Amino acid sequence: LSSVPLQLLFYINGIYYIFYFLATLAMIVYKSQAFSYPDDFLAPDLALLFIMAILEVLRLYLGSKGNLTEEEAPLGLSLVITVGSVLLSVYFLVWQTYVLKADVIINAVLLFTYGLESVLKVTAIAAFVS
Amino acid sequence: PPETRAAAPEQPRSGPAPVTDVAKLCVCDLLVAQCDVNCCCDPDCSAADFSLFTTCSVPIVTGDSRLCSQKAATYSLDVEANPPERISKLIDQVNPSIFCIHSTNYKQALSFSSPEMPTSKNFDQLLKKYGSATFSVEPDSWNMDTEPPNPSDANETYRYEYGVPIQTVDAFLRLPSPVVSSWCSDTNPAGFLINQATKCTRSISVEKCDNIQAVSMLFYINSSILAKCHEFVFQVNITVQSIVVQSLNGTRTLLNDSDVLRLPIILDELCINIVLGVSYHITYTDGGEIIEAAASFVLGAINEAALSIQQSFEISFTQVNTKPVPLSGNPGYVVGLPIRAGFRPQGYPFPVESLLAALVLNTNNYNQLTILRSTSSQDCLAEQGARTPVLFGYNMISGCKLRITAAMKCQPLTETLLDLLKGQSFPEYVASFGNSQAQDVLDWVPIIHFHASEQKMYTAFQTSCQIPVSLEIEVRWTKYGSLVNPQARIVNVTATTTTTTLKQLPSGRERTIPITSSVVFTDVSSPAEPGYKAWPTINVKLPFDFFFPFV
Repeated sequence: LSSVPLQLLFYINGIYYIFYFLATLAMIVYKSQAFSYPDDFLAPDLALLFIMAILEVLRLYLGSKGNLTEEEAPLGLSLVITVGSVLLSVYFLVWQTYVLKADVIINAVLLFTYGLESVLKVTAIAAFVS
Repeated sequence: PPETRAAAPEQPRSGPAPVTDVAKLCVCDLLVAQCDVNCCCDPDCSAADFSLFTTCSVPIVTGDSRLCSQKAATYSLDVEANPPERISKLIDQVNPSIFCIHSTNYKQALSFSSPEMPTSKNFDQLLKKYGSATFSVEPDSWNMDTEPPNPSDANETYRYEYGVPIQTVDAFLRLPSPVVSSWCSDTNPAGFLINQATKCTRSISVEKCDNIQAVSMLFYINSSILAKCHEFVFQVNITVQSIVVQSLNGTRTLLNDSDVLRLPIILDELCINIVLGVSYHITYTDGGEIIEAAASFVLGAINEAALSIQQSFEISFTQVNTKPVPLSGNPGYVVGLPIRAGFRPQGYPFPVESLLAALVLNTNNYNQLTILRSTSSQDCLAEQGARTPVLFGYNMISGCKLRITAAMKCQPLTETLLDLLKGQSFPEYVASFGNSQAQDVLDWVPIIHFHASEQKMYTAFQTSCQIPVSLEIEVRWTKYGSLVNPQARIVNVTATTTTTTLKQLPSGRERTIPITSSVVFTDVSSPAEPGYKAWPTINVKLPFDFFFPFV
């Protein structure tokens, strides 16, 4: 049986991620205006943000599909992609060029969401395998 | 020594490290080892000084306020305590905004970067990165050999143009002139069609006088001038037009034969035939070609005491088949240009051009009106013949002192003074316009002479000696022509000679009297009346049979 909390979490994650993406983009623009942000530091930050967005779309689609069709393969793939997303989120939390307090807050929330999702995915996979 | 140079540090130096500890930073501490007033962070102040402060000029010293949390040092005065004391605290200041910088991974983000110190290794790279356009010291136009000719007519390619240096076989025609100080520099070229006159000093001594090139005639006529720029085919030799020899006391004599080249030689403790002045006259065609060049020399002598001489150089250009008549205005006189004057032999005036070219160097009697020139010695009889041309519009006064001894006779003294005041050849006519030609008789104004006497004449017949002591020339001019561009025209010239009685002196005594000469310009123009053209009238005439049926 499909896990309802997991699907709920996917839905909330989707909405929250849209907000996260726009906020991070806006803050990068603000940082480039307010501080000295040379191009060789700005390019990797923007590139990683867009890669993270693509990964997020992929991850949510696969996870949602796996949960609803009760298949463990897409769910497993989604879990693997989650690891990548977590790494990127940690990058934006710690290794970004400028880490503002707002960055810390939204990345912490995202990481918490990822953590919760991972736990629920593992339980769902366990339920579908058996 | 090369060892110490090798041991010198080669790594790039950097500037002093920035102060980042807020407890040590104090911007109001300006006096070293002294307490600054109202500066609470000054380490040189003692508690007794703090009790005298009224306020703290620097209350807080913080780092970058955009950081979320930073150290800050606060200073305040506790005025309630007796005596007042300073309180300094080191606190952590928190920025409440959510956009404060939590951390940064970019080292140079929060401080000014130290610029790279230039060393011998990175200088070229830094210059390429930050350098910009500069002025070069050598002007490009000195590369006369490598200049490509203009791709145009062959005839026009090589002609001389205004300002181009005149080329000779080896370099260019030199006109030595003073550069920074008054010493002669031999690298000044003469420019085509630029009439110049320069004076400069050259160091010389009797022993070395035949070794110095620049005081021998050969130096100035040695190389021939190229007739056309860059073309070595046609060359013009510089001919010697005249030689004037100046003796040690200043008297000049014109030599009869100017063909012989006179080189400096040492003769009984004197060195003679030293070039004191050269005047070049270049004749050119209207195609920009030089066809003739002549040089007039003034040679002098120096004795052993002389350490330097003053040389004067001049160059003037004349177009072929024309007579050089410098205009003083076209048509009206221009302020500052000399007044043209002339004589009238046998019926009509013609400009004074009969004076020999030798006098070109010293007196410039090119048909000009001249007056006595004051000299530094102020003795009338010492430097006779020093005259200066009268320039239009410039009132001048000049004079000298004459020492009269008992032995001087009246008649020769009178003649000498007249010579002094009026010069060798005082003209009879003055040109009324700046460009008056000799052929136009009516364009010339006669000079009217008056005589005045200093003392009132009591007896009708003065038997005592009258000597002229002053010459006053009054030139009256008027504005002529259109209202918006009036031209100056001379209408009247009067020369008044004032005489005084020379009283006979007892023998042995002498007297000094001043001799003056002056020129005054008076504007006698009548007020202008604007003239307008006639108003247009309507000329209408009806035809004869206009009113046909009734007329």
